[in-house]
Amino acid sequence: MPDPTLVADVGAYAAAVDGWCATRPPALAAAVRPIPDYATRVEVMSDLLGALFDAGWSRYGWPETLGGLGGSILHRGAMWQTLAAHGVASMAVFEHLEVLLPTLAALGPTDFVADALPAFLSGRERWAQGFSEPDAGSDLAALRTRAVLDGDAYRITGRKIWTSWAKYGTWCLVLARTGTTESRHRGLTAFVVDLRHPGVEVRAIEQANGTDELAEVTFDDVPVPATRIVGDLDGGWKVAMHILSHERGTYAWFRQCFMYRDLIGHVADGPAVSDRAVGDALCDIAAVAATSGEGLRLHASGATLGPRATITKLLLCEAERSIQDAVLAGNADLALAPLDDTTALLRQEYLFSRIVTVYGGSQQMQLETIAKQLLELP
Amino acid sequence: MSEPRSRDHDEFLAAARAAVAGSTGADALDALGWWDLLGMLDDPDARAATFALFRAHGRELGDTPALGALAAAPYFATDDGTRTVMAFSRPATGGGFAHTLLGTPVTERILVDTGAAAPVLVEAAEVTLTPVAVPGRLTIHAVTVAEGAGIPVTPADGLEAARARSAFLARVAAAYEILGAAEGAFALAIDHANGRVQFGQPIGTFQAVRHLLAWAVTDTRAVESVTDVARDLDVAAPPRFDEIVKALAGRNGRRACERSLQVLGAIGFTAELDHHHFHSRVLALDAVAGTSAELATALGAWVRAERPDPRIAPAVLSA
Repeated sequence: MPDPTLVADVGAYAAAVDGWCATRPPALAAAVRPIPDYATRVEVMSDLLGALFDAGWSRYGWPETLGGLGGSILHRGAMWQTLAAHGVASMAVFEHLEVLLPTLAALGPTDFVADALPAFLSGRERWAQGFSEPDAGSDLAALRTRAVLDGDAYRITGRKIWTSWAKYGTWCLVLARTGTTESRHRGLTAFVVDLRHPGVEVRAIEQANGTDELAEVTFDDVPVPATRIVGDLDGGWKVAMHILSHERGTYAWFRQCFMYRDLIGHVADGPAVSDRAVGDALCDIAAVAATSGEGLRLHASGATLGPRATITKLLLCEAERSIQDAVLAGNADLALAPLDDTTALLRQEYLFSRIVTVYGGSQQMQLETIAKQLLELP
Repeated sequence: MSEPRSRDHDEFLAAARAAVAGSTGADALDALGWWDLLGMLDDPDARAATFALFRAHGRELGDTPALGALAAAPYFATDDGTRTVMAFSRPATGGGFAHTLLGTPVTERILVDTGAAAPVLVEAAEVTLTPVAVPGRLTIHAVTVAEGAGIPVTPADGLEAARARSAFLARVAAAYEILGAAEGAFALAIDHANGRVQFGQPIGTFQAVRHLLAWAVTDTRAVESVTDVARDLDVAAPPRFDEIVKALAGRNGRRACERSLQVLGAIGFTAELDHHHFHSRVLALDAVAGTSAELATALGAWVRAERPDPRIAPAVLSA
């Protein structure tokens, strides 16, 4: 049962989560250790999610009709901020709680999401996002994966790449073509595909920082019931834009929670680096917190950031880079001798900060979106 | 954006721009009811109106002593009807302090607080004002205070509290004015990108130019977001948030002007276009109440030494 006081008062909720963290539950204690091995990190974070679900904390911020306990995205923002303050390093593998799940909660399919949401929140199931294809990256509307109606199911055939967390995922949100190729963005539909189904093949891609968060996924005539369409038939572009509004806008809030920890933890302890660089990074984080915080407030009130989310994403990337520049300046071991777990993780994070300008739409596409939609340039 | 709070702020800004445009001096502040507003800064609407005035001041290149008046207010418990402005002090080359008055000076009293000694209130007749000629359509005077001049000021709430409040208000207000001036420079660049034709098409069709402008609006949006948080949270803002706001505003304000200048090309670096006024206004305001370089360096040292908690809590966002 939800506590009405905690639903109504985000500050009281944050204090309650803080109190729970202070008791040092074993799942939390395990998650705050540096864990460079990605598969281990996934297990440990799944356990933490299970503990947060059992205690009820992760259910706040989600509708009761979908297995949550009520409240808004502000509750979720407060929970992850509190976890970060207690030493959790990232959302590792659960980023889609704040990228995909808000869209699933908003656009359905309701019956399916009512089952899937608690399973995801509790860490029992995980999600992947299947947008990009070998020939459709920035030009997403050119994607070719097809979904063909066959009785009461659609049969999906095609190939996705850079599919996030597919190796660890249970479900994949797949954007597929239900119209003609010429229909571009108008002929797309979003489906929830079971990654365990025969005909789905996942090939994890080892990344430059040693993790395998991304994968190439092929779908060979995989049946998906029509009841697992997210949003409307041929309404996949709207679903994609809803997701990108979160991925570029509000997700930045959740990411910046961990940035303070990165900056303060790794720079304060390290050898002397320029105070100016650290101060500039602090300013960059504040800009992300302020813009994404506005996104949180808007979403909590039922509005959205819209194309302005792209600005938040640019600011997030700037902050990632300036923090990691400061970290690198004080940690030569990151480049030469990442022998202990902490330094190995620092190296992963530093390298990742060089590619953040690609995910969720490349930086050049974000700049074009701003030029076209916000500045209305010719 | 259609939420009520944002609409109110848009209205404040439009009204402030109309009021500031074309008016100068302390008389313009009188017309705005400015001196009454200073006593009401605990009220969110009064605070929003006050800060909107500074954004308008930058956007319209207004020339009033509003910033010095705002900075002086926390030193005095009640308004006795006398108009006081603060001179902004900074360490001078070769020792001592340099004092600067911004805006057409009010004639009555000047507050001087170097931070190194007790603040003093000097009558205008006791100081020498030397005009400084820089662009920016902002009247600037170097202030020379005679040795031993003035009477000490003892703020009712204690000196440190008054200094902290003064610095908070001055930094956030200066950040808003930097924002407005940077937006002014940016607006010129947008006009130019839409109108200037090269290679048979407006230069705003070229990605190299489009991306420069997209970065410039990102620079200003960052400043807008942190200044709005400071305005809304006020005394509940995270520790040293005013310094973060001012450091970010100075840095990003300069960046936005530089990117706009690059889009404008050579015409932007002439007296024929207002860009240099906006740019100089940003430079002037970056230099008062802590430059972006000074503040960022101090903030970095603070982070390293004290591991502070500068987070913005979601609970306050919804307030």
